[in-house]
Amino acid sequence: MTDIMIEATDVTMTFGDVTALDGVSVQVPRGSVLGLLGHNGAGKTTLVNILTTVLPPTSGTARVAGFDVERQGAEVRGRIGLTGQFASVDEQLSGFDNLVLIARLLGANRREAKVRADELLALFDLTGAAKRPAKTYSGGMRRRLDLAASLVGRPDVIFLDEPTTGLDPASRIGLWEVVEGLVDDGTTVLLTTQYLDEADRLADRITVLSEGKVVAAGTAAELKAQVGKRAVHVTLATLQDTPAAIVSLEKHGLAPVLDEPKGELRTPVAASADLAVVVRALDEARIEVAELALTEPSLDDVYLSLAKNKAA
Amino acid sequence: MTTATIAPALPRWRGTGVTNQIAILTGRSLRALVNDPKLLILSLLQPLIMLLLFSQVFGSMAGGSNFPAGVSYINYLMPAILVTSGVGAALQSGIGLVTDMKNGVLGRLRSLPVSNVSVLVARSLSDLVRTAVQLIVLLIAATVLFDFSPAGGMLGVLPAFLLALAVSWALSWIFLAVGAWVRNAESMQSVGFLAMFPLMFASSAFVPIDSLPVWLKVVATINPLTYAVDASRNLALDLPVGNGVVGALAASVGLLVVGVVAAVRGFRRPLAS
Repeated sequence: MTDIMIEATDVTMTFGDVTALDGVSVQVPRGSVLGLLGHNGAGKTTLVNILTTVLPPTSGTARVAGFDVERQGAEVRGRIGLTGQFASVDEQLSGFDNLVLIARLLGANRREAKVRADELLALFDLTGAAKRPAKTYSGGMRRRLDLAASLVGRPDVIFLDEPTTGLDPASRIGLWEVVEGLVDDGTTVLLTTQYLDEADRLADRITVLSEGKVVAAGTAAELKAQVGKRAVHVTLATLQDTPAAIVSLEKHGLAPVLDEPKGELRTPVAASADLAVVVRALDEARIEVAELALTEPSLDDVYLSLAKNKAA
Repeated sequence: MTTATIAPALPRWRGTGVTNQIAILTGRSLRALVNDPKLLILSLLQPLIMLLLFSQVFGSMAGGSNFPAGVSYINYLMPAILVTSGVGAALQSGIGLVTDMKNGVLGRLRSLPVSNVSVLVARSLSDLVRTAVQLIVLLIAATVLFDFSPAGGMLGVLPAFLLALAVSWALSWIFLAVGAWVRNAESMQSVGFLAMFPLMFASSAFVPIDSLPVWLKVVATINPLTYAVDASRNLALDLPVGNGVVGALAASVGLLVVGVVAAVRGFRRPLAS
């Protein structure tokens, strides 16, 4: 048994003139979660499609669960689960029938298939809607059914392609908990997302894709260290105080940046203790504050910092 | 026996054989048909309306010089309706495939150890069953409501029905191929109708081709539908069939081979990128 469950080596994918992936390599050890982070069009879904044998790569190789995605497609598909934009369920069939269908196609007999379907419906809180056609499900129920569908065969590797896009906060957290449970059971997960907080919570390691290239890779902490800092956002009560506020903050060794359209001052800080420094600086200058918030670096900050590093 | 009890490992399913895949997927489509019979009823409506209108509007024409002697119009018309309904059903088959592609269920199947060929064969088999049900309902309606009773009797109608079914099945593979390449239900629908109406009217389906204007007669003579209609009609009416049936079946096999190859190739392409 191999211990690297997902391995892409120098994978390139072109569609006509467009290069969707340009020499991408990733490795995911068994039982861990790789977060694939990137904006729309960065190449996340293309990489998932290659790893799930949907698309053959233009060049490079990829192995999943030890099998080559091009030459041993059926072996790979027997060991993976996919939840994504293009793999969904039959809207005409009920949730129960959808899961039974998949179990039967995977080789379960009628009885085993029904048992497994009931088990998954219960796990995803869909028992009440089991007999209703999937087209009557709400967005959140639909997403849960999609995830249940990808788990029918107890796959070794699961691909989640933007699993929480469009979900309400409660459903998002519910889905995160399910994923954490799967990982505890030894499942390997590749998760694509646009949200840094999601990758932060779930992923052991994060790979950032931009325009088809890996621009950064590491643990969440490593990436954040690379991005540098959190920031304090300050909105002043009166805009005229802005120059004075900047002077006072700079006197305290901080480097505020004025966000012109919003009239907001953004001050990067190294530690949360620096929040107090910001407050003191403004207080000393007797400047009234309307709003003050400490924010985590976002995906945009990651990109900005990476772009800066590249330029430097 | 003192073997230690080991908890049975959870079953891990890795896939099933092609025959099983086809059986399971065919069952799925047929189940959808039973769950939602709207589609079946709607697809019956058009041939039923045609049957009603044509039998009433053109009914008095039968007995004209070009019609076979002593044959009522409904007996002349019905075997043709079997063939044209079969052609319509074949078009629906292709549109159904495109709808499934949009639905996301085919994307799911692609992530499973299921062969693309199984998906196509299952679709075509379930559509064959649907078409058979459709044609049988039409035959019953024609017999009960419009007094369809051709000279060939059951022994003539049955082969006529089977021939229409065979032509429909072969054509359904052509439309599956078109669907697998075009992947757009709207354009298939409009191109399909544009192609079907001239094919239906410039043929021997509704009137003998000798009663058509010369230019239309030329078209009707080269229209393959004419041969399928003639073969089906001659069987039902117990008229000499010549080599019409063999010709229609040979053409169907030709269409089937081309259709299967093109459909499998087109369907193999990625659903989305």
